[in-house]
Amino acid sequence: MAQFMLLLYDDPSGWEKLSPEEMQKAIEKYMAWTKKSIDSKRLAIDPGKVIRAQGGKPRVTDGPYSETKEVLGGYYTIEAANYDEAIKKALTHPHVEYGLTVEVRQVYGT
Amino acid sequence: MTAHLTRLLGPAWLNLAEEAVQESMLRALQTWPYQGVPENPAAWLFRVARNSAIDAVRRNKIFGDKTDAMVAELSRSAIVMPDNPELEEQLRDDELRMIFMCCHPAMARDSSVALSLKTVGGFNVREIARAFLADDATIAQRLVRAKRLIRDHELTLEMPHGDELRQRRDTVCEVIYFMFNEGYTALEGEALIRQDLCQEALRLGLLIASSSLVTPSIHALVALMALQAARLPARTDDSGDIVLLESQDRTRWDQRLIALGFRHFDRSMTGEHVSEYHVQAAIAATHARVAEAGTEDWPAILNLYDQLMTITDSSVIALNRAVAVAKVRGAAEALAAIEPLDKTPSLQHYYLLLAVRGQFLLELGRRSEAAECYRAALDCRCSEPERRFLQRKLAECET
Repeated sequence: MAQFMLLLYDDPSGWEKLSPEEMQKAIEKYMAWTKKSIDSKRLAIDPGKVIRAQGGKPRVTDGPYSETKEVLGGYYTIEAANYDEAIKKALTHPHVEYGLTVEVRQVYGT
Repeated sequence: MTAHLTRLLGPAWLNLAEEAVQESMLRALQTWPYQGVPENPAAWLFRVARNSAIDAVRRNKIFGDKTDAMVAELSRSAIVMPDNPELEEQLRDDELRMIFMCCHPAMARDSSVALSLKTVGGFNVREIARAFLADDATIAQRLVRAKRLIRDHELTLEMPHGDELRQRRDTVCEVIYFMFNEGYTALEGEALIRQDLCQEALRLGLLIASSSLVTPSIHALVALMALQAARLPARTDDSGDIVLLESQDRTRWDQRLIALGFRHFDRSMTGEHVSEYHVQAAIAATHARVAEAGTEDWPAILNLYDQLMTITDSSVIALNRAVAVAKVRGAAEALAAIEPLDKTPSLQHYYLLLAVRGQFLLELGRRSEAAECYRAALDCRCSEPERRFLQRKLAECET
């Protein structure tokens, strides 16, 4: 089995449109899915910092998200035989149902 | 939660409380799926909502020189202490105060319902609009007006006392029953939202029934709602067509709700006063007791309707009574019983009156007159399943 990372991007303004009841339902769906996974981490909700080389020197700036509404929110690590299977698993994630982006990447060295 | 923060902030800042709650749910949605649910989710949500409210109070300086006092008040809130045994109790109390404020006499009925759904039920504008078959803008307007009224009249979450409490409690019952009926009677619109309405009404009824504010009438209201809601699953068949009470599959009735209904029905039997809810619950109970269709105790049901007519002059109830009259004394007498209803303005163009008359005429073998009634009923405003039902009856007249 290979390891895959699911990188989940959030669009906070989309969530804000839900009612508390709908949010509760969403939370339940996410929790139900998470039970199946092995390792997950949430990134802090602030936009974070980015280090980019500029003119040969590293420069630290605020979050890189000016060009997009989506923010990398967290990740899961799952096991799958190959990309097809990993994608199949990722497609069942509620994130997909709510129209948000999930990036699937294989992790080497395990 | 909204109710609790509103009590701390003051009802005029209902919006602020709503935003803080929204914010805490958003945080939960963003973190719980990765980190797991915290040990005490309610306390967690409260802490976040309270902090968010504190931030907003500081940032917007809406309280002027009272800012520090308000921050202190919010920080003191006992609710954020984890494992607080009083948490649930305090929450229930705040919710009750909120409903009682929403039902202030200055508030229009539909505003009371919309505001209760929004602040206590956690429904959003879109869901309320779908439940009432209204557009979002109408509901949003209604809520804005309701909130303005809270400010203008300086409503508080203080419970009224004495006579005022009694009157307010009656209004609360009416609002809850109205909410329930909105969900129960219409077949149109999204079934799930309508079911949510019934559930929320039942939840609010139970909330009051388990508080010190309970009266026998409230038990009767809960019994009535539970017994009626029990029949919801059997009311339409798999293709969404209407199934009349007499042909319903009784195994699809929700036995848990029936048991709940009877429990509260028993408890409603204390005290002298017989309310409309008592008699309605008694009718629902008579139906629920029947194990097999065709063995209903119609004379008893008719008696109850007669009793109900002495309490209320509702023409819809008079129409329902006529159905019992037909079962006990025949269609001819029932036909005579609904004659005066023709003159009732609210029943003009009411498809059910025409459909009921059609049914009586059909039973008397006056087919062409019955067909006329069903045709007229089809011209009235009614839902798709109702329309299909009327068409089936019309076809029956014409064979």
